Amino acid sequence: MRGLNKYFSIAKASLEVIFVYRAGFAFNMIGTVFYVVAMFYLWQTIFLGKPGALGGFTWPEMKAYLIVAFILNSTMTWFDEWTMGSDIREGRVATDLARPIDFQLKRFAEAIGPVPFELVSALGIGAVVAVVFGGIALPADPVHLALFIVSAALATLLKFAIIYCVSMVAFWTTGMEGVQNARMAVQNIFSGALIPLVFFPEWLRGFASVLPFQGMISTPALTYLGAMDGPTTAFMIGTQAVWVVGLMLFGRLLWRSAIKAVTINGG
Amino acid sequence: MAVKVAIATRLRRARWLTYIYFRCLGQQMKAILAYEADFVILLISAGLVQITGFLFIWTVFQRIPDINGWTFWQVVMMYSLIFITEGVGSLFFEGTWRVSRLVYNGNFDQILVRPVSPIVQVLAGAVGFNGLGNIVTGGALLAISLGNVPAQWTPGRLLMLVILIISAATIRVAINLATSACAFWIKTPWSMVPMFVHQLGEFAKYPITIYSMAVQAMVVVAIPFAFVSFFPTAYLFNMESWSAIGLLTPLVAVYCMFMAVWIFRVGLRRYESTGH
Repeated sequence: MRGLNKYFSIAKASLEVIFVYRAGFAFNMIGTVFYVVAMFYLWQTIFLGKPGALGGFTWPEMKAYLIVAFILNSTMTWFDEWTMGSDIREGRVATDLARPIDFQLKRFAEAIGPVPFELVSALGIGAVVAVVFGGIALPADPVHLALFIVSAALATLLKFAIIYCVSMVAFWTTGMEGVQNARMAVQNIFSGALIPLVFFPEWLRGFASVLPFQGMISTPALTYLGAMDGPTTAFMIGTQAVWVVGLMLFGRLLWRSAIKAVTINGG
Repeated sequence: MAVKVAIATRLRRARWLTYIYFRCLGQQMKAILAYEADFVILLISAGLVQITGFLFIWTVFQRIPDINGWTFWQVVMMYSLIFITEGVGSLFFEGTWRVSRLVYNGNFDQILVRPVSPIVQVLAGAVGFNGLGNIVTGGALLAISLGNVPAQWTPGRLLMLVILIISAATIRVAINLATSACAFWIKTPWSMVPMFVHQLGEFAKYPITIYSMAVQAMVVVAIPFAFVSFFPTAYLFNMESWSAIGLLTPLVAVYCMFMAVWIFRVGLRRYESTGH
């Protein structure tokens, strides 16, 4: 337990950083709200023009889907390829290498620290948007709510694991902005953040189902709505867990081979 | 006679500023091209962002015939205009995004001591090569959607198309310049206000008729993103009751640029060389 204390301190320090830059954080957050509001208007128009369900979604369910997607997208926003890339580019990883801490765990602590604050902010904004647009569908039942929380936690871990792996590219290139944009583009479409995956044609849905990204938005959101039957829900959450473990291990493997290639600038 | 001389002087000055602008930009380009892999990655990522955006619109329209009377290719055109203008902004005028940091660090001094208009220096201060990716893929999407315009392509309409694209890009650059001047009032190391306003562009990706009056007023009057995508598209597709407003786009562009330069100059007078 004592071994974990240091990681807890790192997480706490990382949370405090957000409080220092709270104005920037708030502006960031409000900026993403515009996107969500535009989406709400778009889908509202679509659903009002077509009474009943679309792709198996009713309008209140679609609203719930959009809010869940917004909240999940709002966490872990301060940990990205850019931050880790600049640590690598500017040689700050050298100090990490010299410290008696696990590199991946340290990064995880940094990433998870601000999450409670991000979550509270996103829940607040989400609630306001939901009320303004006339309420959303509630979780199917308490069991699905509990399963949703598990799935959402896994989704956050998955996000970390994916960004961690992609960040390793920084050992070979300095162009992290492009790498990050590419990851976000692929993630947005295949996680179900832009549109529920059921709306896709068969070939695209097949593509999404073999990628890890669906575990970031689609699985938790569909669990919340109770849109999948029992066995499917269990299978999808299990798939999330497998991806988390697999990608975490893969990230460690990448790190081990990367530090052999490392050149520390100014070191 | 005196008027003639004044005009000649102005023209010479404009030519000189253009020359300086492209020289500055050229230096920035060299700096970026030194990192070849970064350059390629940026281009590909910009293309990817648009392809996924296009996939989204396409998927939506698989289920519905139109959004408030706006069809697939009309929405694609709006979307492509947003991306092309964003691309022009990144490729040629990325420098506006550096203003916050320059002012915050007090480094804006170096711009003031040079004998060239600060605004030209700011605009030429950086190059975002992702802009090239945006222009290429956005241009392709625009070309395809233009192919679906029912009207005849007379020379007059073609000319109007060029004018509309230039005006739309001007509006976006003006918005970036005006908001970047906020750095003179609100000192933060990153471009908070510009980013915030930039995000408002999300509303311009879809027909503005889907929004409430408040949102419409915001993107038509307050920060005229609607003139970047919605009104030009309405004009090119001859959408009733909207297309006439599309003709105002060049005027809005001139107005925006005028306001942006004015706001920037007011801001400049407040600059106080932090940290020196």
